[in-house]
Amino acid sequence: MKRYLIILLIMLLPAGASALAPEEVMKKSQEAFLYQGKDFKARVMMKLISKGGQERIRELTMLRKNYGESGGAQKYFMYFYQPADVKDMTFMVYKFPAKDDDRWLFVPAINMVRRIAAQDKSSSFVGSDFTYEDVSGRDIEDDNHTITKEEKLDAKDCYVIKSAPKAQDVDYSYKLSWIDKGSFLPLKEEYYDKKGELYRVFSADEIKDVKGFPTITKRTMKNLLSGHRTEVTYTKADYSIGIEDSLFSERFLKQPPKKWIE
Amino acid sequence: MKKSFLVNFSVNHPKLVVLLTILITLAFATQFPKIRTDTNPKSMLPETSDVRVWNDEVEKTFGLYEDMIVVGIVNEKGILNKGTLSKIIHITDEILKIKGVAARDVNSFPTITNVSAEAGTLKVAPLMTEVPEDDAEMRKLRKMLFENPLFIDRIISKDGKNTAIYVPLEKGANGKEVADKIREIAGKEKGDEKYYIAGDPVARDTFGAEMFKLMAVFAPIAGMVMLLIRYLMFRDLFLSVTLMMDAMVSIVWSMGLLIALGFPVHIMSSMAPVFLMAIATDSIHIFNEFYFRYRETKDKKTAIIETMNAVSRPVRYTALATAVGFGVLLFMNIIPVKVFGGLVAFGTVMLRVLSFSFIPAMFTFVKEEHIEKASKSEDIEFSRTSQFLKSLAGFGAHKPKSTVFVGLVLFSIAVFGLTKIVVNNNLVEWFKKDSEVRIADNVINQALGGTSLGYIVAQSKEDDYIKTPEAMRYIEGLQRHLEKLSVVGKTSSVVDYVKRINKVLHDDDPEYDTVPETKETIGQYLFLFSMSAKPSDLDNVVDYPFRKANIWVQLKTWDAQAMRDVIKAVEEYKAGAIHELPLQMEMEFKPAGIAYFNLVWNDEVLYDMLRGFIIALITVFIILAVNFRSIKWALVGYAPLLFTILLIYGVVGYMGKDFDMPISVLSCLSLGMAVDFAIHFIGRFRQKIVESLELRVKSSEDKELQTPNSELITQSLLWTAARPGKGIMRNAVLFAASFSVMMFAPLTPYITVGAFIVSMMLLSAIMTIIYIPALITLFQGWLFCDKCEGRK
Repeated sequence: MKRYLIILLIMLLPAGASALAPEEVMKKSQEAFLYQGKDFKARVMMKLISKGGQERIRELTMLRKNYGESGGAQKYFMYFYQPADVKDMTFMVYKFPAKDDDRWLFVPAINMVRRIAAQDKSSSFVGSDFTYEDVSGRDIEDDNHTITKEEKLDAKDCYVIKSAPKAQDVDYSYKLSWIDKGSFLPLKEEYYDKKGELYRVFSADEIKDVKGFPTITKRTMKNLLSGHRTEVTYTKADYSIGIEDSLFSERFLKQPPKKWIE
Repeated sequence: MKKSFLVNFSVNHPKLVVLLTILITLAFATQFPKIRTDTNPKSMLPETSDVRVWNDEVEKTFGLYEDMIVVGIVNEKGILNKGTLSKIIHITDEILKIKGVAARDVNSFPTITNVSAEAGTLKVAPLMTEVPEDDAEMRKLRKMLFENPLFIDRIISKDGKNTAIYVPLEKGANGKEVADKIREIAGKEKGDEKYYIAGDPVARDTFGAEMFKLMAVFAPIAGMVMLLIRYLMFRDLFLSVTLMMDAMVSIVWSMGLLIALGFPVHIMSSMAPVFLMAIATDSIHIFNEFYFRYRETKDKKTAIIETMNAVSRPVRYTALATAVGFGVLLFMNIIPVKVFGGLVAFGTVMLRVLSFSFIPAMFTFVKEEHIEKASKSEDIEFSRTSQFLKSLAGFGAHKPKSTVFVGLVLFSIAVFGLTKIVVNNNLVEWFKKDSEVRIADNVINQALGGTSLGYIVAQSKEDDYIKTPEAMRYIEGLQRHLEKLSVVGKTSSVVDYVKRINKVLHDDDPEYDTVPETKETIGQYLFLFSMSAKPSDLDNVVDYPFRKANIWVQLKTWDAQAMRDVIKAVEEYKAGAIHELPLQMEMEFKPAGIAYFNLVWNDEVLYDMLRGFIIALITVFIILAVNFRSIKWALVGYAPLLFTILLIYGVVGYMGKDFDMPISVLSCLSLGMAVDFAIHFIGRFRQKIVESLELRVKSSEDKELQTPNSELITQSLLWTAARPGKGIMRNAVLFAASFSVMMFAPLTPYITVGAFIVSMMLLSAIMTIIYIPALITLFQGWLFCDKCEGRK
């Protein structure tokens, strides 16, 4: 009797379930999404599209270097090409786990580098529908994670993970993520507001293999309430290209090395 | 012919007619549960109208909300203390959870974007996410608030006692429901703070809710008042109820039809039941005559038929005139005006059909002794009313010259009053002074920048032009110019952000509180701002390609006039008299927003009504001329009518009451209604003359007597005043009584309409009875001349 019960229980378990804890899934996903390689470079094209179809363009080169394990410190360097009047503007972020970021901005028109206060994690990244957190990640310990179900999305097996923030520090009450069991990349995310209504949707629209790392090269974030959406395309994506530590300094903010921004 | 057939049929088959009437009424009544109301002033103009298309475009371009609720919080001891600030945070949090609230763009202490610099670090973040812990932090907050021009008069008053939470609504949200929830949230807070909830959606949707109540409460009360007065007049409950039913039936038919056709009930059509009830009083002439006739013939059926024959012509023409008065509204541009006109015109025609079918049928059910009892008092000689009316008419007939002279004096005074009329409209003033909506609006308007919002859209011809220093300075100059107007509480634009960033980047040096020198600098500042601010902060003030900028103009009043002043000031500025910029600017300014919309529809309604009034004037004159078959008589009938209207509008001018939408609507209607009296008076008077002449012709062969002499004229005038005049007076009193109920309504347009109609009716009845005799006596030679010619 007991034996049958155990067999039954095993049969009930989803196929291939290697008994991953939800935190582990999220950790692996964070690694696959934001920490691949020693460093990373891409030319980023953002299209901010209003409900009425009006477009704003943000074009930049993004350089990223990891310092430590997945979930650890990172440094970001961004150089803007578009809009035209912000050409040569640069932006630098030091990201620390469990601590506020440090941010600097170079304003070429007045030749001035300014510290920018890190604030509200859910504030928009350069006016897009992505938040700073969407771009650089959120500490896994900040949320309670549960696996709500496992299902196929675009013929890929996924974990569906519900992440509810422990503190009231963000706009959403919880988020559902569809994490691909193969690549551990998030294929879709749904954000529910404090009224419990779905209001923001992320989708990975194109995934390419770059130096053996599956990389999301096209993504969209759509705000269902405002009707606004942001489409992001990565071109010239590359990993482990040997970005120097010295790049992440005030000097190079003012005069970024040509080789990284052509 | 058709009418008399209808009367005969009804008298012969009374039960069938009544049953049919009831069945049709029930059929229309089944439509009532489908009722919808629409109090949005936007519905005044079709969606395709220029102003709506333009406003929609502006809303889309700048990501604006159609509707915004403003929650004012007042603490006489100042709001910058831990207690009040934590309440602000808590209330804001709760508001964000309300359904229908566009949470992402609610602006309040914890959510509004603040640009500041601390120890060399630039900060673009919500102003206050946590209550300041100690005095030092409180001082910092105070400094940030009062040093940032974007905040003063927006979220903090200059004296520090007021703040506001700006709550934009998602499309289709009900303003009253959201406002009620906010009241509930604020109601739970204890302490010295007072809370005020204002804004266009609150006013509009509260108005809608009140309107329903009015229809459900005031129309029946008006009905009961009429029933009571009628009973006092005729001392016969059965007949009074019959008349009442007559009105009710036509109301059910017309409202049922309106609802069945899928039209929503607007403010104007909500008044239709009371109008129809009043118009129904015209059938009092039938009753009036019936009682007189019954005394003469003593046979019910004959009395009914005779009555209908005697009054059918005036009753038909008065109905026609009333229907036309309302019917012309069908040719107007404003949809609710059209609907209202059609609705009342339909109801009026139905009332007349009922007068010739349902009423005679009901007459047959009355017990003879009842009528006998009632008609006893209907003797000209004994009736005090008749005696009084006789003396009134006598005044005109015996002293025609002085009567007309007094009239001319009053006329010129009235004309002077007319010149003082102010055209205006104010949605918030549709509420009484002591109403919650109006108090809230006043408090917030006095303390902060204003609850009424208009936009001035600056449009250039090339992308990124808004980022040029010239464009920025040009816009800034306009803002300063507009702020000189007393109705303008605050203006804000993209320039304010640019200046703020310039100053903050330069360590709060006041010297940098200016527009930067180059386009690149401005572009980079704006980009910097957009890197951290809410997307809407920038979207609300500039379009995507930076071709257009949106200047917010907060007004301290909902007067349509205020926006007119703003537009005038913009024109002045454009004309170049004020700014010192040498070059011709490649930029247009165009007004938009709800304040602008209110101005446009206000003007459209007034223009429409004026047009309608003129058409009604002409049409009613033609009807009079056709009815009397004489232009001369039509002129005589017209005089007291015009006179009354002039007098009333003169008084409106002297009182300083705004000539607003309700008043303008009334102008047409009063014409169609008041003309009834002239039709009855002149019609019956001439009938009497003809009857008397025939009598004399029969008794003597003297052809001379075919022309009425002045003695006969005076006699007939006095008779007309006493007999049909009593009907006129009763009609006017009933009319006035039913409308006087509206004077107790909680909404001012209804009060205005009530007061206007009451004075209109009483005045025009008296004018008819005094001035028609005076004019006839004065111009008898001229009036009867063509008659004698015609007879030869």
